[in-house]
Amino acid sequence: MTIAPDRTAATPGATAGTASPAVTVLVDRCAGCQECVVRCPTEALTMDTGRWVAVADSAHCVGCRQCVRTCPFSAITVEGPMLVADRVATQVHLPKHLAGDVSETRRGITTWDEAVAEASRCLSCPDPTCVRGCPTHNDIPAFVAAVRQRDLDEAHRILRRTTFLPDVCSRVCDQAVQCEGACTWSLAGGTPVAVGALERFITDNAPVPPPALPGSPGATGSADVSSAPGEVSSSPARRRRVAAPGGSSAAGAPSVAIVGSGPAGIAAAWELLEGGAQVTVFERDASPGGLLGWGIPDFTLPAAVAERPWDQLQAAGVDLRCSTAVDAPGLERLLAEHDAVVLAHGAGLPVRPPIPGVDLAGVEDATSFLQRARAALQNGDRLADLDEAATGSPRTAATVLVLGAGNTAMDVARCARRLGANAICIDWMDPRFAPVRPDELEEARAEGVDVRFSSTVVGLEGTGGTVGVARIARTRQERADRRPVIQQGSDELVPVEHVVLAMGYRLDPELSHDDLGRPFVKHAPELPDRRWTGSGILSAPAPAFARHQPVGRLALARETARVTAALPRRERLWVAGDALVGPSTVVEAMAQGREAARAVLAHRPRRPGTQRPEIAHVVVAYDSVGGRTASCARAVADLLGADGTTVEILPLKQVDTMTLARADLLVLGTWTEGFVVAGVGPSRTTRRWLADLPPIAGLRVATFCTYGVTPRGTLGIMRTLIEARGGEVVAEASMGGRNFLAEAKRFGVTVRTRMRSRAAVAS
Amino acid sequence: MTITAGPGATTGPDGARTAGTDTATRPTPVGTDPVVTAVHLRPPQRRGMEERFAATDPSPGLDIARHPKVARILHNRRLQFMLILPNQIVFWAVIFLGLLGTVVPGLNFGTAITWYLWFCLVFVMMVVVGRAWCAMCPFGGFAEWIQRRTFWKRTQKVLGLGRKVPEPIARYGFLLSVGSFLALTWIEEFFNIAGPGAPHATSWMVVGIVASALVFFLAFERRSFCRYVCPLSALIGTVGAMGSVAGFRTRDRETCLSCGTKDCMRGGTDGYGCPWYTWPGSADSNLACGLCTECYKACPSDNIGLYLQKPLTSVVAPHRRRADVAWAVAILWGLVVFQQVNATNVYGSLDSWLIRATHIGYPNPVDYVGIIAAVAALMAGIVWVAQHALERRDLQVPAGGHGFMEHTSKFRTFFLPLMYGIIPVVGADYFARQLPKFFKHVPRLVPAIGAWFGHGSTSSSIYHMRLLADPRIVTVQVGVIALGTLAAVVTSWRIAGRDLATVSAHPAAARAVAVGLALACGAAAIVLYIAMHAAS
Repeated sequence: MTIAPDRTAATPGATAGTASPAVTVLVDRCAGCQECVVRCPTEALTMDTGRWVAVADSAHCVGCRQCVRTCPFSAITVEGPMLVADRVATQVHLPKHLAGDVSETRRGITTWDEAVAEASRCLSCPDPTCVRGCPTHNDIPAFVAAVRQRDLDEAHRILRRTTFLPDVCSRVCDQAVQCEGACTWSLAGGTPVAVGALERFITDNAPVPPPALPGSPGATGSADVSSAPGEVSSSPARRRRVAAPGGSSAAGAPSVAIVGSGPAGIAAAWELLEGGAQVTVFERDASPGGLLGWGIPDFTLPAAVAERPWDQLQAAGVDLRCSTAVDAPGLERLLAEHDAVVLAHGAGLPVRPPIPGVDLAGVEDATSFLQRARAALQNGDRLADLDEAATGSPRTAATVLVLGAGNTAMDVARCARRLGANAICIDWMDPRFAPVRPDELEEARAEGVDVRFSSTVVGLEGTGGTVGVARIARTRQERADRRPVIQQGSDELVPVEHVVLAMGYRLDPELSHDDLGRPFVKHAPELPDRRWTGSGILSAPAPAFARHQPVGRLALARETARVTAALPRRERLWVAGDALVGPSTVVEAMAQGREAARAVLAHRPRRPGTQRPEIAHVVVAYDSVGGRTASCARAVADLLGADGTTVEILPLKQVDTMTLARADLLVLGTWTEGFVVAGVGPSRTTRRWLADLPPIAGLRVATFCTYGVTPRGTLGIMRTLIEARGGEVVAEASMGGRNFLAEAKRFGVTVRTRMRSRAAVAS
Repeated sequence: MTITAGPGATTGPDGARTAGTDTATRPTPVGTDPVVTAVHLRPPQRRGMEERFAATDPSPGLDIARHPKVARILHNRRLQFMLILPNQIVFWAVIFLGLLGTVVPGLNFGTAITWYLWFCLVFVMMVVVGRAWCAMCPFGGFAEWIQRRTFWKRTQKVLGLGRKVPEPIARYGFLLSVGSFLALTWIEEFFNIAGPGAPHATSWMVVGIVASALVFFLAFERRSFCRYVCPLSALIGTVGAMGSVAGFRTRDRETCLSCGTKDCMRGGTDGYGCPWYTWPGSADSNLACGLCTECYKACPSDNIGLYLQKPLTSVVAPHRRRADVAWAVAILWGLVVFQQVNATNVYGSLDSWLIRATHIGYPNPVDYVGIIAAVAALMAGIVWVAQHALERRDLQVPAGGHGFMEHTSKFRTFFLPLMYGIIPVVGADYFARQLPKFFKHVPRLVPAIGAWFGHGSTSSSIYHMRLLADPRIVTVQVGVIALGTLAAVVTSWRIAGRDLATVSAHPAAARAVAVGLALACGAAAIVLYIAMHAAS
């Protein structure tokens, strides 16, 4: 799939005579590590193996500056232009008669020629930063190359490896801070490849294939694109299996309950279905889709696209139970009836401002307004309360005041405009710092929405219990990280007929009132994986195109949430999407749902009363300083790997969340620190690692330590720390003296015996 | 984020599970990193790698980090701190005692330890180890503590601007360091600091070094100061090439090339990225290895060893001869010759005349720079003549780049190896130059330390004790030079045999010329020492 385009392919619009970029390798600092050579998309960098330094051929350089970003010793400079054609423009549809018009605002690429031209701007970077920028890590260069080759089936096959919602994501993602913000051109200060438009072109011209069920042709992840959505042959066998929700899983297929049918739920259901599980989904609302259904208006996400995933999932046999809310006792019941539960209920509690008058009639949450507006617009109706308000003076339209200027607020205001009302959006942040999408702001203003920044509502007043006037004050914000300050005496009274609160959401405390550690706070680690650093995504200045946000660090922060979703928060209970991290995006929720589902499939959890699954994958982690603990770990690993179990042996500092998520059994070895009497315990590294451990609910752990004189309480300290994170210590041993290797082997035999006799392990 | 299995990763014999029926429900393993799937790096180029590093890679048996106890020490993050701390204490004592203590140079601890002992010790460490001093240097060490905001921990946020040394300067490699050494030596001679003169002068010199180190550490990233600016860096780097420690090198180059993180360069959980801009995977000499152990700590594959090597290996073996090192040798040779010449009567009259003419005191910058430049030019001239006499008629020099370091020419084909060849005699000369102060005055350290407690005096017998009498000192100096010359003969012989044989019409003649140059340099140094002795 590697297509390294030559310069002419990447630069169809580059006119002859354009100056070449000039590449300079600083020979004094170049260590010949080849980090640039292996990443250069145009092979402009090679090695002079005689002197062992990198050599640049400026004639092949397109000026993408990946070498500058990736050189560990900053020994390369590139001067000169970026040789890339102009981006293919797409249309924005702004209706002349707004009322009732729900046709899509943003349009995609329409012709093959344009699509291929845009795809040709992609450099097929060997270390694609866009893939890291994408929250679900779509293989962007590969599907773009497929577009270049006009092979949409192949493009869908590539997309399916990582996404179930390409048609949705290509419309609703904020690509500027994701794939396109991380495009190598945008990191170099240029215009990125239109990744979103190309993804949409694929789904516009070839329907997204339905789930590939195990046993069906092309089931190994490659989807059959010839069949249209919904056309799934449901064999009697499959129907029978699906028809036993929560019942006995005779064939060994796990039965999994998913709470919520939004993007995270869709992804989890899809992945589990393709993995052969029986899936039951519980949805509180009357129709599935969660946020996709009611949260995003039709002019951004057409109903046909939003409904496509559930049409396909239901046709493929997911047992969907709408209008079924799950509360805390209900969750316990689900855990008792099913092998695993994935919580994907979202974060639906609206944030309400602490101002007087917020309880007046005519004040409404964005959720309910959007739900009503969507229904009204789809049926060609008008909203009664907006009309009633206007009845007093038939010529004037009602005014809807929207508190907030984010995605949801804009959607509310634009829906209100389409329902014939005036709309004002109020945001207390300075326009320089407000987290608003520039394209959305432009579209909203073009549709007549009055978007006001540096303003806030300090009170709502009304007569007869109905809101009538909003008191709006000016605010001042000096810096992005400072709270805006209300300017005294700047109040202004604005007559309003309707107020919609769109200031964001948070996790419903009633649903998240558990010990699952929510919301999980996404964070960019202090020392990121150096493969991320090496790709250069972190070392570029934040692109203007991405509103000067550090796309690399945003991507890293998202990554922490994605991998965390693979770990159960309680035994047999996974959480994904907004339910895990609080309000987030469709694509992140989808990525997390998929990760949780893959973890369920890998660990094959079983309901209480049935046999626990055997151990298939063992991770042996050790912290060794002189090499003794390492050799003990190797001895144990050799014994455990002998009967077909896969064993992964790693130094402790390399064991990350994903490695833990893979493990059915963790063997943890450490050297013993301290003097004979003072400070004896696991090594500092081990203690720190254990203290920073994410929840490892139900993970079986075997611990050992090597010691010189005495291990004292080392194993006890480890046991306490592991159990505090939900782990289960199944065996422990200390090894000292001359025959430490023999002791390690004895320990390995013990662990192996306990692995085989499940009862002992489960005890 | 998948982590690739560490060394010695094991898997079950067939990867399939023996029992259980639901293998079908186990798809691709959880945690398969979709990014890894999308990355398709070009394979690193390996052509000629074996030959390139064959001569310089140390033998695996000389890796002292294989010993568990050594490994333990090297892994300890406090190691470098413990090395720096004693020196830190000594040099802050030098500063304060120089300013506040007795004004008698011989009795002041600051001047006594700096000029009678420290300089000699640095040279011994240089010749035996290499950049051992750099590992324990209190000047860079102090600035680095502040830059890293810690004494030993691995921190992520550094203090300062983190700039890169501008390319127009960095392209000259170690020559800026040679320049600052020339400047410092002139200042030291001008103010008679090393004589030793007034103790406060020594204090101010140390303060100046610490302050400039701090400024550079806060303005530039890593140890840019040490690599490019430090006055001693070029000297330690070139003379240290004789040393028997190869520094931190890769254990298996293939592992390094396929390494996806390059923690040794970028910094990992337990170690910083190389502060000296050296990659253990390609290091072919100990020239720029500061022995700070950071790469060893950072390596995720435990693929870095601390290697010993035979003495002179880093002089003889490297395939890539660096132009900056060759010119540094020529200029440093000029400087040490100046320091010998300036003790002779001929120089005295020349300098007095110049001082009268320019009104700038001893040493007059004109003859200072003039003599150094003349010696360096003489070396270049000798090589130029030798090149024309020796070169093969059909000699074709492979095309190089445009910069100072990349440029290739017939002259350089001869100049670079021949200058590398005389490194031992230059080093020996610097060492011999320090010996008189050591042998004459090092016992003064005892009363200097006693002075803290009121027991030191210039009248004590130990103050006037000498380890060796003057004529004996000259004998030792001549012996040191003779030893250095012998080493230079060996290096020149071997370098000429490898590097010059292929480009000379008569390989034997090339060897003779190289050896002759080494002998001539040695002889000149010996003659000058005898002349100095005669002059005093």
